[in-house]
Amino acid sequence: LTCRHKYFYYESYSESEGDSDKEEKRIITGKRKIKTPVKYNADTYISPRKALKVLEHEAHVTPVKNKLLQKEIFSDIKTPKTPKNSPKCTPKSTIKLIREGTITPKVQSRSKAIQSENTPLKKARSQLHVSYVPSNLPCREKEYTDILNFLEGKLFDQCGGCMYISGVPGTGKTATVTSVINHLLAASKNEELPEFQYVNINGMKLTEPRQAYVEIVRQLTGKTITWEQAQNTLEEKFMKKTKKMKLPIILLVDELDIVCTKRQDVVYNLLDWPTKPSTQLIVITIANTMDLPERLLMNRVTSRLGLTRLTFQPYTHKQLQEIVTKRLVGTDSFNPDAVQLVARKVASVSGDARRALDICRRAAEIAELEGNETLVTMSHVNEALKAMITQPKVRAIKNCSRLEQYILQAIISEVERTGVEETIFSDVYKMLTSLCVLNGFNSVSCTTALRAVSKLGACRLLLIDQKCHDLDQRIILNVSPDDVYYALKEE
Amino acid sequence: MKQVFRVLSSFHTPSKRRSGHAKDDLATPPKQRKAANDENTPAVSPSTPVVLLERLSLVGSEEKKSQRKLFAENGVYQSARKALHSTYPTSMPGREKELHDLKDFILRHLHDGSSATLYVSGPPGTGKTASLNLILQEETVSSELKDIYINCTSIKSSSSVFSKISKELGVKTNGKGEKGCMNAIETYLKVNHKPVLLVLDEIDQLESKNQSVLYTIFEWSSNPNLKLILIGISNALDLTDRILPRLQARCELKPKLMHFAPYTKQQIVEIFTNRLKSAGVLDIFSPVAIQMLAGKVAAVSGDVRRALDIGRRVVELVDRKKSGENMLKSIENLAEELGVAKTVQKMETVDLKQVINVLNNVYGTSQHLSDDIDDSFPLQQKIVVCSLLLILKKAKNKDVTIGRLHDIYRKVCLKRNIQVVDQGEFVSLCSLIETRGIMKIIKKKDPRLNKISLMWDEEEVAEALKDKQLMSMILQDDECLGKL
Repeated sequence: LTCRHKYFYYESYSESEGDSDKEEKRIITGKRKIKTPVKYNADTYISPRKALKVLEHEAHVTPVKNKLLQKEIFSDIKTPKTPKNSPKCTPKSTIKLIREGTITPKVQSRSKAIQSENTPLKKARSQLHVSYVPSNLPCREKEYTDILNFLEGKLFDQCGGCMYISGVPGTGKTATVTSVINHLLAASKNEELPEFQYVNINGMKLTEPRQAYVEIVRQLTGKTITWEQAQNTLEEKFMKKTKKMKLPIILLVDELDIVCTKRQDVVYNLLDWPTKPSTQLIVITIANTMDLPERLLMNRVTSRLGLTRLTFQPYTHKQLQEIVTKRLVGTDSFNPDAVQLVARKVASVSGDARRALDICRRAAEIAELEGNETLVTMSHVNEALKAMITQPKVRAIKNCSRLEQYILQAIISEVERTGVEETIFSDVYKMLTSLCVLNGFNSVSCTTALRAVSKLGACRLLLIDQKCHDLDQRIILNVSPDDVYYALKEE
Repeated sequence: MKQVFRVLSSFHTPSKRRSGHAKDDLATPPKQRKAANDENTPAVSPSTPVVLLERLSLVGSEEKKSQRKLFAENGVYQSARKALHSTYPTSMPGREKELHDLKDFILRHLHDGSSATLYVSGPPGTGKTASLNLILQEETVSSELKDIYINCTSIKSSSSVFSKISKELGVKTNGKGEKGCMNAIETYLKVNHKPVLLVLDEIDQLESKNQSVLYTIFEWSSNPNLKLILIGISNALDLTDRILPRLQARCELKPKLMHFAPYTKQQIVEIFTNRLKSAGVLDIFSPVAIQMLAGKVAAVSGDVRRALDIGRRVVELVDRKKSGENMLKSIENLAEELGVAKTVQKMETVDLKQVINVLNNVYGTSQHLSDDIDDSFPLQQKIVVCSLLLILKKAKNKDVTIGRLHDIYRKVCLKRNIQVVDQGEFVSLCSLIETRGIMKIIKKKDPRLNKISLMWDEEEVAEALKDKQLMSMILQDDECLGKL
């Protein structure tokens, strides 16, 4: 208990200078005025870490990062020395281990397991979630076989190649490709296909296009290095004939348009490597734009990309209906007509499968809130659609103050008068004063009107110049005049 | 159970029978089961009846595999596809003159011991890099000089090319910076033994602010003391004149120019026949088909990569069709399949029709669009395009912003009792149309002020929309335009 004595000694010493004899006596007798941070149990020794765990468990709090606080809690417990044979745990060494790939990132696990879904609606909701990818995608059979044939052919031929896949968001591009690759991986495990490696990068997940090299090397070897080194290793791997490598590599590049910079060196390299004789690199690129190679890429990159292209068309309403019903197999909680309504609405706008699934999930949630545990009906779907396709601007105009509504009216009449979309505040103010007089409203000062205008600009009903806030301020209406009329007429 | 296992395992892999027997004699039943499991596929547990039934098929796993391969890749098609792969070729028909010139240039300067520069230009896919590669592989050339090939897209910035060169030369640099590398290279070139051939591919990537890098490199090669032959490759015809005007001032600095013209029809035909002949599968393409393909590609770009790509694609399509037929056949006569399958396969040549099909898909993008556009082009997007057409045709003021298009779209929709999407949704609708390439959105400060321009021809759009009745009704609607 030496450290304990010392602790108290120092504390008390600082409180009253000198007089050490008296203080020591007091400690021995146990009368102390300074507070004890934590009750110290002498017979059961608790290590600080364990104590922290216990504390966490009891209080359900996250561990406090504040060092001062920690000191206060555990200062009277003897800290155990780290055993000598354990690996060093300085931040630098940890980072080194992470870069080498010896430790893998982990996420804290739950203390309690989630209870499983039991009601039919909950089950339906979990199956309708966008992240729940079914084993075989309905309505994409043709594209599936196209990609499968391409990849299988390249693997058997033992040569490289590129493919470009395009289509609007939510049409199942990435899902189809990954399911094809999963199929191939399973096939190569059963030795029906030559073995291959699979690497996927996503343009949106890279902070910079050149980080693509780092990501590829990381997925091939597990090590994280700088992009210059990564580029060199990849170049050596692909250009030199010496090594008798080499498994074929399938590289999936998602969001290709993000990887394109002005120099386009990354895209060039990614598409140039497959044309080298020694490599077997098969690149599949995915983007939204159909004519991206012609529009954005340089001539020489387009030439390397080749003409093997595939376009995913938006889903039609029949296909959307099939997708949703396939997901709902096993639960009869949806009215088929309701599903059809969702499919038709979504297909008429974008043909995005994610959107249809989201609306269905929302409808299920609404039904649940109403206490209806079994069936989702038309009315629920209608409500969800209304919530998804709303026009909040009309409501915002309705909720504006009287002055703001007058300003909107003044702007409209000013636009009608001049015929030009852009108006100047001084003209609007003139119109506003006459409007106020007409309606028997007290005339407002210029500053008040300006403040109201800037408030309308902040909620994006108007587009205003950020630079100057005076009479010459330019104002453009951000809603259509019909909306304003409609909102103001109803009163 | 035990008996069955032994029989099955012995049946599958005859070579391993002996070891299996040895285990049978010694091992206890559970262990034996494990052994049997190991011999076959370890992933599936052998105890289920389904698996057992599957194993009772007449064909062993080895045989199955080979059979599957037979179906997946028809030997002929595969070798044709391989022959048409666009890697560096070993022979280059149609480029004899250029090859000769290049070789002559290098050899002449080798014998003189002088340094020189050459700038090779030409559109992509005309065989610039490939012909240089071919020359460098020849013994007579490569033994007498040290060749360095640098692709300028693979370096970090234009000035780091020096460090790359010094690394390739294996020179020690005293300074870390670019200056140190430069000096080291110069001293190396002054005292070296073999002449150096420096090939800079895609040299236009080396453009910098005042072109100091390019000037430095080009000036090295004009210095008679340094034995350096420099060859720059790029696409632009007039790169040296445009970005390096100072080289014109002195005659010895001026690089020699060489242009690779796009391939003509005859040359592409020659390349095809050459490649297919060397693989022994010439008769897979009918001569007319090759003529057609070559004519089309030569007329558009003269890019041989593109021609080879189309050729490969045609072969792939034919192969797929063929294998599809085979599969059908195999289902029809399962019994005969084993014996006959090999003899039944007769080769199908690529004919004109298939080539035209692929060519149409490649070149006529919009026409290709209209094939499947009618059911999968969402209705709202159709209406947006129609309203855009209406503005462009009828209105006086032709510049279209998203705000204005939205106003007119609203009027069109309300008249026909169709639900209107609001402005935020409308912007995303427009960007979805943009991905099809029908129109282009020019970004401004605010989404409402974004400008829209039609990228396709109006007739073409009208053709693609197909929904004639709706179209014509909207296009006649002058009232929706208002007074603008």
